[in-house]
Amino acid sequence: MALLDFCRLDEKINLRPVDSLASFQNDVMGFSQNFVNSTQLATPPFANPVETLAQFNTKDETGKQIKIEFDHGTTTLGFRYKGGVLLAVDSRATGGQFIGSQSMKKIVEINDYLLGTLAGGAADCVYWDRVLAKQCRLYELRNRERISVAAASKLMANMVYNYKGMGLSMGMMLAGIDKRGAQLYYVDSEGTRTPGKVFSVGSGSVYAFGVLDSGYSWDLTDLEAQELGRRAIYHATHRDAYSGGIIRVYHISEKGWVNVSNEDCSELHYKYRAEKGEPED
Amino acid sequence: MSILAYNGGAVVAMKGQDCVAIATDKRYGIQAQTVSTNFPKVYQMGPTLYVGLPGLATDTQTVFQRLKFRMNLYELKENRIMRPKTFSAMLSNLLYERRFGPYFIEPVIAGLDPYDNQPYVCNMDLIGCPNEPEDFVVSGTCSEQLYGMCEALWEPNLKPDELFETISQALVNAADRDAISGWGAVVYIIEKDKITEKHVKTRMD
Amino acid sequence: MSNINLQCLLGIQCNDFVMIAADQTNSHSIMVMKDDEEKIYKISDRLVMGVIGDSGDTTQFAEYIAKNIQLYKMRNGYELGPTAAANFTRRNLAEYLRSSTPYFVNVLMAGYDKENGPELYFMDYLASSVKVPFACHGFGGYLSLSIMDRYHKKDATEQEAYEILKKCITEVHKRLFVSLPNFQVTVVNRDGIKTLPVINSASLK
Repeated sequence: MALLDFCRLDEKINLRPVDSLASFQNDVMGFSQNFVNSTQLATPPFANPVETLAQFNTKDETGKQIKIEFDHGTTTLGFRYKGGVLLAVDSRATGGQFIGSQSMKKIVEINDYLLGTLAGGAADCVYWDRVLAKQCRLYELRNRERISVAAASKLMANMVYNYKGMGLSMGMMLAGIDKRGAQLYYVDSEGTRTPGKVFSVGSGSVYAFGVLDSGYSWDLTDLEAQELGRRAIYHATHRDAYSGGIIRVYHISEKGWVNVSNEDCSELHYKYRAEKGEPED
Repeated sequence: MSILAYNGGAVVAMKGQDCVAIATDKRYGIQAQTVSTNFPKVYQMGPTLYVGLPGLATDTQTVFQRLKFRMNLYELKENRIMRPKTFSAMLSNLLYERRFGPYFIEPVIAGLDPYDNQPYVCNMDLIGCPNEPEDFVVSGTCSEQLYGMCEALWEPNLKPDELFETISQALVNAADRDAISGWGAVVYIIEKDKITEKHVKTRMD
Repeated sequence: MSNINLQCLLGIQCNDFVMIAADQTNSHSIMVMKDDEEKIYKISDRLVMGVIGDSGDTTQFAEYIAKNIQLYKMRNGYELGPTAAANFTRRNLAEYLRSSTPYFVNVLMAGYDKENGPELYFMDYLASSVKVPFACHGFGGYLSLSIMDRYHKKDATEQEAYEILKKCITEVHKRLFVSLPNFQVTVVNRDGIKTLPVINSASLK
């Protein structure tokens, strides 16, 4: 080998099999593309990924149902009111009916003024939130100012829209404060991106909405808002099998976000029961 | 989703020294929605005989009522109470009768024999194949978790209060890893001439 | 495709009364045929039943149950209480479930028992029956259940319970993607059955 190198023979004749031509370079490119461009995922190993991937989630060649059970099931909520934005989430991660974790962090701290919530495929949310965090930081370095929530949510929506139909599953809220004040956006893997006042996402959202809507007003005080968010999530965890664990409450004001509380559902349940004056059964 | 997991719920029974215990959760749900938190799946069938019927709730209720009916007939005819072993045979028979359109429950039986006070536990599949081990039986939507807990916690010759602690810990911690079991629990400790019913405080999410 | 979950039934039981509400929409495929349908059936002097489900099944089943309970009273000279009526209904539903003509109906049964006071039974089309302090059927129920959890009190007055129902229906109007404009409300207490004003967007103002 040394002599071969010394004579620079391999520049003149190719002694290796054809398919390994420049293969090292290809390998480097192929296996680390994601480092260079984090929004680029490995291409599915077949043609027409949108149609083909959809088939995977139904039947195998014997006609048996294929079950890919990602972590799913969540309750998250967010609302704007006069004091800023409030976010509250549960912390349960389930795969099918199995509880994989009771202590997930479903609020991602993108920077000091921007938060994202996760619902849907846990891995999808965690990954894309991390990519978003990177993009937001780059924006800040390039432009010497923080990214607006509108721009951040647009980045997110555009990134995931490229993979529409390929099985990404995420419904997230982006909340933050920028020049235009407190902002709340809903973004999902279908490509929806919409600003709003009150959102709740996940399997327990129907229950959360019930409590949230019946107690919401723009003029809530900070304490009332925190309690409303907490209660809405608590009631959702009580009724929805796939939500539970710890209730995390975050508040965003001009000064950035604050983690208001992280309380165990179980303790909250018995506290609320006692307040209602009903016996523990 | 399996029809056995439509309503959710779990039951476990264990042998102890001259005693047996049976425990159930209290959830009644429709898939992800918890409808009631007061639906124990264990019924008393005799002075020292209990049966747990986790599975599809409608069949829990139907099978219990049919069992009660057959048992009353037996006791009226024979003028004596039923042994747990006999009860198992009767239940197994009732389930196999529906071999081709089964009741969607997987029963657990726990009792002390009224004649020689021997502890007895048994579980069955939904068409009535009985299994009578020497230690514990489990059933319901978190049976894997329950097996794990029981294998770790159970030991021979537990006294009634130790048995209560063991079975409660087994059920509560198994249900905490299952999305569709829990929301309260009831434990029955069965001794020769004493039944203790205890409601256990659990997570309610 | 059935529209069983596009309809809505709500029920609340307190110390002195039990109140149920039902939407009044009768829809076929994409059309609303009627918006003043009666889905709450009077069974006897202190017993009502809210029924939603397949359009033929609801009336047929409700009337079958109602007439049989009245027949029972004529034959025996006394009425079935709410518990007995719920058991009777459940058994019929369960027997039809495993026949070639099952009834596809979800039921709330509300009655006042002379000894036990007001009672509310939740029954789904699979015929599992549970006694509950409050319950809902349909997608509208998903939104309402947490509101009931939040505001239900055992010692609430009829006025307060009616207000809770109004909160639920406001939410159904706000968040549910189908239109359920009108809800009839019936209350059962010591004195019998009473129809309360219909809740709709006009009365919610």
